[in-house]
Amino acid sequence: MSMTRREAVKAGALVGAGVAASVAAVLKDRLGPPPADPLGEETRRQLSALKHVPPKTDEDLLVRMQRELVQAMAKPVEQRRWTMVIDIRKCVGCHACTIGCIAENKLPPGVVYRPVVTEESGTFPNVRLRFLPRPCMQCDKPPCVPVCPVKATWKRPDGVVVVNYDKCIGCRYCLTACPYGARTSDFGEYYTDSAAQGAPAGPERPALGSRAPWEEQPSHEYAKSWDRARHGSPVGNARKCHFCLHRLEVGQLPMCVTTCIGRATYFGDPNDPRALVTELIARHNVQVLLPHKNTEPRVFYIV
Amino acid sequence: MSESTSRVELAEPRAPGWPEVRVGWWRTLLWVLWAAFAAAGVIGVAQRFLYGHLPAGYGSYVPWGLWVGLYFHGVGIAGGVFVLAGLGYIFALPGFRQPAVLRVAIVLALAAILPAFLGIWLDLGRMERAATIFLSPNFTSMMAFNAWLYNGFIVVSALCWLLSFRPRSTWLKPLLCLGAFLSAIIPSQSGSFFGVVDAKAYWHSALLPVLFVTSALTAGSAVLLAVRMMMGPGPMSADEHAIAVRRLRVVTLGALVAYFFLEFAEFSVALWNPHGHDRAFDLVLFGPYWWLFWIVHVFLGGLVPLVMLLQRGWRRWMVGALLVAVTFVSVRLNVLIPGQAVGEIRGLQEAFQHPRLTYVYHATPMEYLVGFLMLATGMTIFYLGCRISERLAERIQQTS
Repeated sequence: MSMTRREAVKAGALVGAGVAASVAAVLKDRLGPPPADPLGEETRRQLSALKHVPPKTDEDLLVRMQRELVQAMAKPVEQRRWTMVIDIRKCVGCHACTIGCIAENKLPPGVVYRPVVTEESGTFPNVRLRFLPRPCMQCDKPPCVPVCPVKATWKRPDGVVVVNYDKCIGCRYCLTACPYGARTSDFGEYYTDSAAQGAPAGPERPALGSRAPWEEQPSHEYAKSWDRARHGSPVGNARKCHFCLHRLEVGQLPMCVTTCIGRATYFGDPNDPRALVTELIARHNVQVLLPHKNTEPRVFYIV
Repeated sequence: MSESTSRVELAEPRAPGWPEVRVGWWRTLLWVLWAAFAAAGVIGVAQRFLYGHLPAGYGSYVPWGLWVGLYFHGVGIAGGVFVLAGLGYIFALPGFRQPAVLRVAIVLALAAILPAFLGIWLDLGRMERAATIFLSPNFTSMMAFNAWLYNGFIVVSALCWLLSFRPRSTWLKPLLCLGAFLSAIIPSQSGSFFGVVDAKAYWHSALLPVLFVTSALTAGSAVLLAVRMMMGPGPMSADEHAIAVRRLRVVTLGALVAYFFLEFAEFSVALWNPHGHDRAFDLVLFGPYWWLFWIVHVFLGGLVPLVMLLQRGWRRWMVGALLVAVTFVSVRLNVLIPGQAVGEIRGLQEAFQHPRLTYVYHATPMEYLVGFLMLATGMTIFYLGCRISERLAERIQQTS
């Protein structure tokens, strides 16, 4: 070997320094705190929803859940732990939750937060259909969070896994990491971009392109205004269900809970021992999706 | 300093039993190919910037496509080329100990890795935020870890290239050691990039990083062998050149055999598993792209080169090396695409239908055109890098 002793020492030092720097960098991020979210008193919300509706013992489940939501929002964010329960015995597969979510969050083509999977079992004449709404599981051990190369996604103190649209670089690593397929990427499509193609010229043909004005209205996810029209975020970003955080902030249940015609979706904070979801997840017939992945989802299914 | 390091000729080393042959049309062919790739690539990248990701075939259930496959092929070649040339220089092996030869290999490594980054940059959803990975990295992410490693490798390569003009520098070999270390780490971490994704059973294998290292060595040695044979002896004697070529041939053969051995191990664990195996394996072996595995990878990338490299004759070795260099991209694609094309939740594709919400992926014309741009960029970097190396070496020789 034609290396001098000095060169060998230098080589060892360089490689050693590189290894040490790599280990330090990885440890820093593995052991370090998550992105700083507001905590404590500033996160309490005194909401006026149902203020003038006296509680009743037999009130509608949605009213009860909304009342519990208001109570939970009065606590600091770190004392809440949002959980969703879906009773798939009641789900009829109407997809109202899917469409309600799309309308609420102004989701473009190719982006879906809550598809409803249809499972067919048995052979004729003993055939059965079962419907499985699949929102983001808001896992306690989210596999999508550590793979983000720029810390654009993290788990909030209240349990919701969020995406920072201003930081996400659109690498789509988190999409592959999610075993539930809960994340989708916004590729910049519009429903009406290819409408009226081939239409004869005339007064009814759109003069400035076929894109409808309503599609260019901003969405309000994460309580911010997002204008896609000028190729701003979230075009190019990963997008996912966030339990309608912007609705929670004003005392409204997530859209999928509100719009479910079968009252099959429940939402609340199980840190409240008297909450509806607390009762439900204590049942024996409650399961999570893909338990062998050890992601500890916060969405439970009553089977 | 011989001028032949900048001439792309198919020159046979002048050694007993090796008749010298000059094939003048080879340079013309490369120029024609470069022009075609560049023209096609310009069209592709124009489409990319005008229409964004809309003309692409990837989506949300198969988020990564051809460009990511080419990226991993490029970084693998870069690692393989550098580690062989670097170690050859450090150990002063015949045919590798000349600084000019080292420079060619470094330029070749850079010509492989820089276009790979171009493809990844074009693949991002927010290209203007690419620098965030350096400003606000998250090292729990293999992507951030790899990005920093690759860029560290580029810096080390550039420093080695500069110091090669001062071969007496006591920092050249240490930096080559660091570069060789990075060259080994990078492909393995490329494998870990997939291996850490527990959501995809096909990827979640401890053997994947080893497979990536081995395929990097295979493709890298094949590329280096082909380029060294094309460029001829250059600054060394014909005997040294012949020794280097034979050694690279042996490395390519050995790495090729090792790769297929490891691949068989990977597949056999899955296929002989009494509890069944991931559906991705069936996609690879019997799916719509079965020919990519059996014909491109096994036959054209394995059996044919194996036969050619085992025979005598430099022309056969050249063809064998080129076949390996080109077809091993199928290895990357056969890891990348089938791993994504199988979802954990059956029926998800049918639950909400959209062309980007399927587990079926076909590369679109725009993606292929941008792939050609990556090739043209690599050829450009290699050509200009060799030219600059030669001019700089001449100037230094004149002034010294």
